[in-house]
Amino acid sequence: MTAPALLTVDGLTVRFRLRDALVHAVTDLSLTLRPGELLAVVGESGCGKSVLAHALLGLLPRNAAVTGHARLRAPGRDDVDLIGAGERHLARHVRGRGVGLVPQSPATALTPVRTGRKLLEETLRAHGHTRRDAPAAADRIAADVGLDPADLDRYPHELSGGMAQRLATALALAPDPPVLLADEPTTGLDRPLVDHTLDLLRRRCDTGAAVLLITHDLAAARRVADTVAVMYASRIVEHRPTEALFDDPAHPYTAGLLDALPDRAFVPVPGHPPALTDLPGGCAFAPRCARATDTCATVPRLDAEGAGRVACHHPLREEVPA
Amino acid sequence: MTDLALPARVRRLRRPGSAGTTVAVVVLAGVVAAALLAPVLWPLDQSAVDLSRTRLAPSADNLAGTDDLGRDVALRSLYGLRVSLLVGAVAALVAAVIGGLVGALAGSVGGWVDRALMRVVDTVAALPHLLLGIFIVAMLRPSLGAVIASIALTHWLSTARIVRSELLSLRNRPFVDAAISGGASRARVLTRHLLPHVLPRLALATTLMVPHAVWHETALSFLGLGLPPHLASIGNMINDGQRSLLTGAWWASIVPGLLLVAATLALAVLTGRWRDRLDPRVRAELQL
Amino acid sequence: MTVTAPDATDAVAPGAAPAAGLAAHQVSVAYGRQRVLDRVDLRIAPGETVGLRGPSGSGKSTLARVLALLHAPDSGHLTLDGSPVRGARHRLPASVRTRVAILFQSPRAATDPRLSLADIVAEPLRATGTPREQAAARTAELADLVGLTTDLLTRRPHAVSDGQLQRACLARALVHRPDYLLCDEATAMLDASTQAHVAAVIGDYQRRQGAGVLVITHDPALMARWATRVVDLPAA
Repeated sequence: MTAPALLTVDGLTVRFRLRDALVHAVTDLSLTLRPGELLAVVGESGCGKSVLAHALLGLLPRNAAVTGHARLRAPGRDDVDLIGAGERHLARHVRGRGVGLVPQSPATALTPVRTGRKLLEETLRAHGHTRRDAPAAADRIAADVGLDPADLDRYPHELSGGMAQRLATALALAPDPPVLLADEPTTGLDRPLVDHTLDLLRRRCDTGAAVLLITHDLAAARRVADTVAVMYASRIVEHRPTEALFDDPAHPYTAGLLDALPDRAFVPVPGHPPALTDLPGGCAFAPRCARATDTCATVPRLDAEGAGRVACHHPLREEVPA
Repeated sequence: MTDLALPARVRRLRRPGSAGTTVAVVVLAGVVAAALLAPVLWPLDQSAVDLSRTRLAPSADNLAGTDDLGRDVALRSLYGLRVSLLVGAVAALVAAVIGGLVGALAGSVGGWVDRALMRVVDTVAALPHLLLGIFIVAMLRPSLGAVIASIALTHWLSTARIVRSELLSLRNRPFVDAAISGGASRARVLTRHLLPHVLPRLALATTLMVPHAVWHETALSFLGLGLPPHLASIGNMINDGQRSLLTGAWWASIVPGLLLVAATLALAVLTGRWRDRLDPRVRAELQL
Repeated sequence: MTVTAPDATDAVAPGAAPAAGLAAHQVSVAYGRQRVLDRVDLRIAPGETVGLRGPSGSGKSTLARVLALLHAPDSGHLTLDGSPVRGARHRLPASVRTRVAILFQSPRAATDPRLSLADIVAEPLRATGTPREQAAARTAELADLVGLTTDLLTRRPHAVSDGQLQRACLARALVHRPDYLLCDEATAMLDASTQAHVAAVIGDYQRRQGAGVLVITHDPALMARWATRVVDLPAA
């Protein structure tokens, strides 16, 4: 891929100060997202992947400290660093317009007192459509996400989970953001709806946008992602093209996670993940890893970009071509 | 790994509106302390009549002037606030007990008990509550007890509704299901799993009710139906001050009025902030 | 009669000898005018893992709550090892309720945010009169079984991850050694490793105790791997 990156995350680090502890939520995370690319970030709950999404939208709670950069370079817009930008700038120019969000639980993310059509038309008009052409555009976007125009006239509480998810997706797509974040968009949906939602994200990429899919569902990532980044204990440990990662994992943690799938060995990774308040020094996976040696007392290096990178002193394969 | 020190900007970010909280704390602490300590700080007789010094304008001797009987308005206002706050607090507590019991009964038993109790609540709520309060004091002899009864009997309705709706929304939550499935008795579910979630709301509602109760007492006293006239209460003072108002002695009713506004406003601001901290919708929680 | 019993063992012929198992007989449930379950038969025999499958809105969760003795059906009834069960929740004695345990999808909704994980696990024991020391010993035993450290046990729900909290819920569900365990999308929010771990702990328990398990899941791979028998619940 040679197109210039839409989003470049560089050395992103997020810490939360709790009363008696420091939470290492995201550590030195770098990735690039190019037009047409769908990158899935996978990992167990509590590995920091949701914090990544919130950090990119400037939606972290007050006790968070963020360092690093996340540059959004969309054609026809000013470049902006999502980490340094002030709340006003983010609210006016970035959220929605520059970076869209498909939320985790659409039923609670939608304003209950307006119909889907009202919500969608308001969003469209806030982003440059006129009162005249907003209704037609609303119908078009609704059709894109597979929402019946009749369902558009209902209130959010009258929608099923799947329809609410499609409406939330339509709202995220309405401002036509170059980058879309999807934070666990399929939790609680049944299989046909999961597939439908994923296919929508895929189609979005095919129009030149970029999608960052955050999920714990490996099957979902495999279905739609171009590349998959595996997070463990606040860091990316492996980032590879999807097929390569699923067929021939390089990091022992990735291999363990894949072995836990019900259509593979269905055996959990031995041991349990460390608390983000109390990470071991060196490679955080070493205490659970059969291949660990003394070398693992230092943190393994990870390339800053590319999709052929693995952070391991003893990878399962030496060459990890992108 | 570099351990990251938190930038000062993040560590000391002030909550929006925290200046208001500080002012409210200072005002409330000052007013309440002055009211409670008045007998110690100024061991003068607030009810001492001095007909040679009537309706004096505010001066160094009488900070808020004197009334038509020559009594010091500032001192008498503090004594009045003592009585008003005490009556308000006791009445709010009684109302909380009545409302809490009715709400807990309706919300935990349900069925026809719930329907009957809520019908009573709706009926009482439909009556103008000051009028109802006047009716209640009119039936009793004017006394501290009568005023408290009048306030408590007209202010328990919102508490009952809050407690009931909290209980109803908690009753079918998965964590209550899990407790029942684990073998917890009705009493244990109520005392260990439901009420601990309701009590903070009840405490909040009670505190929010104190300013209401104080104003209700003031209104009754102003109408001459409240506390006996020899007891300094804010309402009695505003009522007395009316006579002086016509002669241009505005301070006799304005000063106690302002004191009441300051105290109740500060109390309302503080309870509002407390509610924000209690309410999970306002509280930004850390989700890992 | 509507088509609800794809497996012959789910329907019990009138007058047949009562069999071991947790069974729903012709169970119907409606919320207001909306009928959620329509004359459903389902039996979970000791030792088996029944997979329950059906489209969104087909009433899978409602059926799980009925079987968990948390919701009385509007018509039809349950039998527990042959004896009829009348009513639900507090109408049933604790000794009956504790024979069936349920694990929900969201561990956050299923735990009291005020309690520590240790208190959450021990609560069913304390609620049924087990002395404190004995309850603490059993809590430690279960924490070990589900892989919760002593440090995690002292924390409250907001300070642990979904996976850790769901393991605490599993420990709580097993605390009374139930004969039947119902898992309502219990691993849908968990990563693959935690899901495999939870399934393995349940499998071990089931083999030792001879317990019957119901699994509700949208994931065909998980269903195929976990359930010994699959029942389809058609849309109501």
